Amino acid sequence: MTFGKILPAWFFALCEYTWPGSWFKHAQWFFAIDETFHIMALGMLIGTLVIVDLRLLGFGMRRQTVPQLAAYLGRWTLFGVAMMIATGIPLFMSEAEKLSKSSPFFYKMIFLSCAITLHFTLHRKATAPTATPGSGLGKLAACLSLLCWLGVALAGRAIAFL
Amino acid sequence: MFHLLSFVQWLNDTRISVYLRESDWPFPIIETIHILGLGFSVGTIMWLDLRLLGLAMREAPVVDVIEQLEPWAIGGFAVMFVSGSLLILSEPLKCYNTVAFRIKVVLLILASLNVLYFHKRVMHNVDEWDRHMPWRAKMVGFLSLILWLGVVIAGRWTAYF
Repeated sequence: MTFGKILPAWFFALCEYTWPGSWFKHAQWFFAIDETFHIMALGMLIGTLVIVDLRLLGFGMRRQTVPQLAAYLGRWTLFGVAMMIATGIPLFMSEAEKLSKSSPFFYKMIFLSCAITLHFTLHRKATAPTATPGSGLGKLAACLSLLCWLGVALAGRAIAFL
Repeated sequence: MFHLLSFVQWLNDTRISVYLRESDWPFPIIETIHILGLGFSVGTIMWLDLRLLGLAMREAPVVDVIEQLEPWAIGGFAVMFVSGSLLILSEPLKCYNTVAFRIKVVLLILASLNVLYFHKRVMHNVDEWDRHMPWRAKMVGFLSLILWLGVVIAGRWTAYF
């Protein structure tokens, strides 16, 4: 499945060939810098999730409670997501037509939507101060969160190869 | 006398190097593993550094953050080191000739020295840091952030040049 089969071709052309997409496309140094920030945001985001999700599973920072860690790192997770989206949009615009035919890109967006939805529903519930420590719900939320973000990273990497 | 370039050329012509370079699947798979290792190691190192700088997880004792995150940082680093060695093995000559890669190697050595310095010279009175964070610990955290940021940038740019 690809986005090209869902959205009209003019949408991708509009993104890629009008300002600011056309500028992103031709300023190669901008692409390289933007991509670097994109990866940094990912590292930061994954770092916060790994710490919280591992804790939900009973590993890592066990001397702190889940709600404590979630409170320390929650706003950093949101900052990481915001930075990833902000740096991701120019990356998309600079090669919108190519991405409209890319199935890894399609699946990356699916995983991303799942990950963000999960974060604000089940994951939020499992890390709230009222949550039962070590509950099955928390472990499920942690596994799903790690899997969704793994999917985002793997599908993202696959865009360059497939 | 040991000559690096002739060694790199020899490495470049070994069967394993040619195999890694010319087949389709090994490179993307190894690179993916490399990036996952990066998520774990830089992902946790970054939070350690931010804690040393007093910018994140301030409510958690420093020693807790160091002791509990370090194993994951080291584990992730081991994964990155092994997968990274294979990536170098897949194109030794290209790495040797790429300026970004040379910078990356220098930054990695500096980052290792920084960690060594932290453990040998800075960490001995870590129990007192929650009352007063010494400037040396903050400096190590700051340098680590900058150096790892540089490693990621130089690593990404190795692919461009």
